[in-house]
Amino acid sequence: METLFAELAKSLVSGIIMGMVFALVALGLTVIFGVMDVVNFAHGEFLMIGMYTTLLTSPLLGVDPLVTLPLAGLVGAVLGIMCYYGLVRFLLRGPMVAQLLGTFGLMLTLRNLALLFLGSEPQIVHKGLLVGKSFVFGPGIVLESTKLAAALLSIVSFALVWWLVRRTKLGMALTATSLDAEGARYMGISTERMNATAWAIGGASVSIAGGLLVNFWPVDPNVGLLFTMIAFATVALGGFGSIRGAFYAGVIIGLIVYFPPAWDALSNFGGLDWPAIHSFKYTFVYLIYFLIMVFRPQGLFGWKQ
Amino acid sequence: MPLLEVKHVSKEFGGLVANNDVSFVLNQHEVMGLIGPNGAGKTTLFNCIAGHFPVTRGQILFDGRDVTALKAFDVSRLGLARTFQIFQASGDLKVRENVMVGAFMHNPSRSKARAKAEATLEFLGIADAGDHLMTELPVAQQKRVALATALATDPKLLLLDEVAAGLNRAEIEDMVALIRQINTDKGVAVLLTEHVLEMVMVLSHRVIVLESGRLIADGEPEVVVKDPEVIRAYLGDHLVSDEEAAHA
Amino acid sequence: MEAIKNAFDFKDFPRLDMSVAGAVFVFLLVFPALPHSSFAMATMIQFLMFSLYGMGWNTIGGYAGQVDLGKAQYNGIGAYTTAVMMVRWDVPFWVSMPVGMGLAVGWSFLIGYPLFRLKGHYFSIATIATSLVLKDLFEVWDFVGAATGLQIPIRSKLPDFLYLQFRHDYYYYYILLALFVVGILYLNAFRHSRLGFQLRAIKDNEDVAKSLGIDAHWCKIKAYAVATAFVAVVGSFHACYNFNIEPEDVMSLDLSVLIAMMALLGGAGSLWGPIIGAAILVPLKSYMGDWLGGAAGLEGLNLIIYGGIIMLIAAVQPRGVWGMVEAVRARRRGGYAAS
Repeated sequence: METLFAELAKSLVSGIIMGMVFALVALGLTVIFGVMDVVNFAHGEFLMIGMYTTLLTSPLLGVDPLVTLPLAGLVGAVLGIMCYYGLVRFLLRGPMVAQLLGTFGLMLTLRNLALLFLGSEPQIVHKGLLVGKSFVFGPGIVLESTKLAAALLSIVSFALVWWLVRRTKLGMALTATSLDAEGARYMGISTERMNATAWAIGGASVSIAGGLLVNFWPVDPNVGLLFTMIAFATVALGGFGSIRGAFYAGVIIGLIVYFPPAWDALSNFGGLDWPAIHSFKYTFVYLIYFLIMVFRPQGLFGWKQ
Repeated sequence: MPLLEVKHVSKEFGGLVANNDVSFVLNQHEVMGLIGPNGAGKTTLFNCIAGHFPVTRGQILFDGRDVTALKAFDVSRLGLARTFQIFQASGDLKVRENVMVGAFMHNPSRSKARAKAEATLEFLGIADAGDHLMTELPVAQQKRVALATALATDPKLLLLDEVAAGLNRAEIEDMVALIRQINTDKGVAVLLTEHVLEMVMVLSHRVIVLESGRLIADGEPEVVVKDPEVIRAYLGDHLVSDEEAAHA
Repeated sequence: MEAIKNAFDFKDFPRLDMSVAGAVFVFLLVFPALPHSSFAMATMIQFLMFSLYGMGWNTIGGYAGQVDLGKAQYNGIGAYTTAVMMVRWDVPFWVSMPVGMGLAVGWSFLIGYPLFRLKGHYFSIATIATSLVLKDLFEVWDFVGAATGLQIPIRSKLPDFLYLQFRHDYYYYYILLALFVVGILYLNAFRHSRLGFQLRAIKDNEDVAKSLGIDAHWCKIKAYAVATAFVAVVGSFHACYNFNIEPEDVMSLDLSVLIAMMALLGGAGSLWGPIIGAAILVPLKSYMGDWLGGAAGLEGLNLIIYGGIIMLIAAVQPRGVWGMVEAVRARRRGGYAAS
């Protein structure tokens, strides 16, 4: 019985922790959407780039992966701005299908550029301050420090973005543009600048999320799509455009995906042995997106119209 | 039996009351004008009658049937057509094809729909525009196409939403003649909302006036236009008191 | 029936278009007789397949204007139905193909009903979600061979028209060409039909369409079913042509997007658009993949170029090649002068 409790508690904590990382992944998408109503198919590729940034620069500079996080953020921000000025700006002029097509092309290009230059072997970073260490929370509840750090840093990043959006002049300008771009223009707020800023913030946060994952998730160029879909589902659940929503939704989805005892129980459902159900974890994420959009499209915290 | 009966219709959007207890009756082959200052709730009323919005309270009867709960596509199939104020022509459909969409409502056959479309275009004097795209036409002609499309559905009642917007004097006169023709030649009843008051006066058998969501007058044009309530609604209180002062 | 007359009615196309179409058709007809490499033949077969995919996609993505990025699931249903029926119960292609189409269309009605409550990018993402869900399901479902897929056994006596197995590609080619012709005729009838007009009205302005008696939701579901049928038929064919199918092959997101992309590049919403799109992208992908992908260290370069093309099209002329042609024509025609 004690071990069952420990198992459950461990899974709960695991789920929450991963959920916070998912939340950070979704944050970027929801900020971009909130400001300019664009859905970015290449979102997961930014995460992938963040992962690679950390992967490659930490041995290069001889520092712990965690230290390179701000660098990943910077790379993400710069890439976001480049994508805005180089592509998205033009897509906004056309019909909605142009956005879909365009960001999908971006996804293909980024993913295959990575494949080309970085190879397709998945790698995990096994070096770092926290690797191999764990925190003991209670009887039998052992948490890897890397994951714990990821969750904490994710919360920090969330708080940073929240502060940025709610308490700074820049953030208020962003909010103004997201509510009424034309009105904001009359007040002297350049929509172009705000859009680019949204992409910078979006790119930075998801890049950092990638960097956070490096210690416990295999890094490979194809990782983007899964996270794009997770981000979509999270944003849909939380409500398109809602930062708060992204946080709670991320945690919920993290719990759903990472609750192993539940999955183990399901795999023995009705006496049938369905070990394969483990690979369904992400399928449920896709299903959630579909169900939410059909039955409660405003998600948990409503959407910005 | 009246063609359209609006009974105590109210429409609220959250806290905002757009239409408040509106009741009136429109008879077969009648032309009725709906006027009122900006924001009076005219377009909302239109949308409720046409089935685009559900009403918050009240009942709408069309041709004897209760259409209150019906959606727009069901209501239109019963013989109620409308034009829209905002015209977003994407340029995909040619003029003739546009009108055919209307004709298809009661004619599943393409050849019959096409014939009907051409006849309607002819009736409205734009038969030669058939092959052009909507975006290639000047505003006045675009309005005629919109009329043609609505007319091709063989409606009993036509709702015209500010059809004169953006037209010059000569074009407005043409439009008046057209609407009159539609009413007398085809027997279609018309409910039109307009800011160009002369147009409404000249065309309408009866006029109703909305102000802040309420119906404040209902009668013949010459009578309504002299109603002090109506004058006050349009021009504000001080003008009436100025008048009174002048006569003092 | 008027529908048959409509199928052959190409009167509204200018002479030039019909001449070009005629020339292309003659070329397609005689291609196998011309000297060609087997690689070229394989590419042509791909071209015909993607044309059919694209033509089907066009009904929902082009005429109705809802970008569907989840068509691969129906390709899978078609392919797997044929494969499973062949492997387990020895059912000929001509029986399994309609069955596959029926299953696919049935499934499309099921998810279409809730799906079309969504619009714009929400809709597109949802289509991706549904396709991925089905693919994941197939990857763990033992009945269809799970992730390893199914292998269709080669029959003893080739050519076999009942089970669609041939040693030489040109048999496949002509059968596909026949399907292609049927497809074009069907779509021609479709665009002249009431549903075709209604869809275009919906795409133009849905509110106006509703005021013209059009039940938008139901029309979209019907269009979606038509698109599904096309894709499922090609899927069945694919199974017979490839002998070996697995979820990653026949139901991947990449396939869904490729289908949409070719139609959009060529010009969604027109009869020729998807064919033009396939004509441009299939050889490009094929030959680039051959030249570049094979060379060591250049893996993925072809897809980079692909991605670049897509971005360019999206930014410059989202209405595709045919959209450009029509824009030029509209300019030449000049404005309208009231009489």
